[in-house]
Amino acid sequence: MTLTTISVHDLTKRYGSFEAVSHLTLDVEPGSICGLLGPNGAGKTTAFKCILGLARPTAGSIAIEGAPVTPKTFETTAYVPERNVLHEWMTVGEHVELNRRSNPKHDPKRADELLATFKLDRRKKVKRLSKGQKTALMLILALSIRPRILVLDEPSSGLDPIFQRVVLDLMIDAAAGGATILFSSHQIGQVERAADRVAILKQGRLVLDGTVDELKGSQKIVEAIFEDSVPSLNGLAADARILRVERVGRVYRAYVREGGDEIARRLDALGPKSVSVLDLNLEDIFLNAVADAKSPEDTI
Amino acid sequence: MPAIFTVDPRSGIPLYLQLIEQVKRAVALGTLDSGEQLPTVKALALDLTINPNTVARAYRDLEREGVIETSPGRGSFIRSNGATGESRRAVTDVAAAALDDAVREARNLGLPSAEVETLFKRALGRWFSAREEA
Repeated sequence: MTLTTISVHDLTKRYGSFEAVSHLTLDVEPGSICGLLGPNGAGKTTAFKCILGLARPTAGSIAIEGAPVTPKTFETTAYVPERNVLHEWMTVGEHVELNRRSNPKHDPKRADELLATFKLDRRKKVKRLSKGQKTALMLILALSIRPRILVLDEPSSGLDPIFQRVVLDLMIDAAAGGATILFSSHQIGQVERAADRVAILKQGRLVLDGTVDELKGSQKIVEAIFEDSVPSLNGLAADARILRVERVGRVYRAYVREGGDEIARRLDALGPKSVSVLDLNLEDIFLNAVADAKSPEDTI
Repeated sequence: MPAIFTVDPRSGIPLYLQLIEQVKRAVALGTLDSGEQLPTVKALALDLTINPNTVARAYRDLEREGVIETSPGRGSFIRSNGATGESRRAVTDVAAAALDDAVREARNLGLPSAEVETLFKRALGRWFSAREEA
């Protein structure tokens, strides 16, 4: 049996009366890429800090490859924080050198390759780097140790679309080499491409979790097109399986969790011109998961 | 290896199924010949910018269906026989789904069936006669 690479069990982190993470349970299997999505302030960064032992959990347990986090964990686990942790007065080269001295797994050839990929000049001082270049340098330092486990907190923030793609390629390259990756991102398209698993956080709680295919299979859009205007729907939207509704012109769209065919039949009974059941993309699923409760006007 | 595969991550169809369909389509169209080598899992994952596990899963299923064979250390190849029937069926499925979408869209826009039929015949005449003249 293989050990779960990152195992989070019933994690809660409170700052005073504010609960940043509430009862989070999450397993990341070896060799998989797990994408963590959530609006700003959903608790993603706090969860990462707890996982890596940089913040003390209020309750719950965490294990990396079956063991508690110790300094030795960081010989094989790399973390790229969202916040810039570089030293402004040091050069790019000095950071690479610091990384080499502090980590026995540092591979100078890999560091050179990565510096070339991101076109970073060793002599440049960090304070002269753009936001994107700073992100790139943190990634270079993380990947230079050829980590078995990578935890990336918004690895594309500040990068232009070209370098965003480079980051995605580096993640795929690492995963193809057997690395396990946990990352957060606001780029839902990246998660849709790269992740095996997606976990969606809202106000510190896990609201949705599954493989990308499972999540996409679990929700449908039932779209009805009416002749003139959308009629009164007799409380149809009060159905608990309907997550959200949209009406635009003569089109009524219900985002449904299971029972799509039955809801399509109920809509069909209202005499629309057509009713279809459509697939959703991950962005729709994310928006539904973090949306506030249905407003009363939806239930007419 | 030319870039013969494309996938749409935003589609509701799982990426590994899209890839399986594309390989079968390429075999049926002769873009991939029997005995031809497929890219490695890593190369294709990087080429399409998708998860390597997704590519590996597609290859495993294609192997089970007899479309490709994988020999350890050498890579994955299109099987010399047995793949064509399966691939031809896949092409029919792709075409049927595309036609289905088009007809559904025409209905959604409010066209009566007679008018859709006229449009369909016009399209048929346009594409098939063009083919014959060529």
